[in-house]
Amino acid sequence: MKNEQDFLKQMENLSIPDVDPSLHQQKVKMTIMNAERSAALGVWLIVLPGYFLLCALMSAFFHNKAIDSWLFGMLFRDLLSTRASILDSLLFFGLPIICIIINLLAIVHVQVEHISPTQRKYKELSLTIKLKFWNILLIVISTALLILFII
Amino acid sequence: MKLNWFTRRGIIYVPAAIAGWLILLLAAAYAVYTFIDIDSHSHSVSDTMINFMFNLLMIGLVYTIVAYCTEKRVVKDSTDSMI
Repeated sequence: MKNEQDFLKQMENLSIPDVDPSLHQQKVKMTIMNAERSAALGVWLIVLPGYFLLCALMSAFFHNKAIDSWLFGMLFRDLLSTRASILDSLLFFGLPIICIIINLLAIVHVQVEHISPTQRKYKELSLTIKLKFWNILLIVISTALLILFII
Repeated sequence: MKLNWFTRRGIIYVPAAIAGWLILLLAAAYAVYTFIDIDSHSHSVSDTMINFMFNLLMIGLVYTIVAYCTEKRVVKDSTDSMI
């Protein structure tokens, strides 16, 4: 009887291990590309269509005839006409798409894994987005440019 | 193959080797040639500047892409991870 009471007292006084449930979720999530390098290149990729858009707006507002000449004018006329040249497509469709891709690869981490080792039938998709201001801003601007040129 | 031709300062790539300086000089020379060519065809100052600026940005983009592929990578770059 006494042994039983001692045992119960001993069990009650057992120290409970302190487990932080959030710790097991911490893992290194490598992204495919470097965020700063992608942002640096991304700026150059959207500057060109951005400049073109600015000139087109200025031309519309101020009726500037200067853009009718040379390479810039040729691209402008091609874009406004029904047939867009390969150079047009590359500059105003290709560059924003490349910008979106490299910046997405720099901030997104995707992982497909089994829910638990015992339940191998079911998988889960973990999508992590790193909140990097410049990369997200470049993605938004590129998407806006792309939509604008498609329309 | 690692080519340490450029180092990055913000969004600008600065040459760090002779090959990098040669590429920068080539780009600058082409920009000057483009300016003279455009200026000979243009009808006004704004015509020259609008067309030249567009070409200068294109040269800058090509230069940046070349520099991006051949830049010196710091060890910190490869550990760009989130925990």
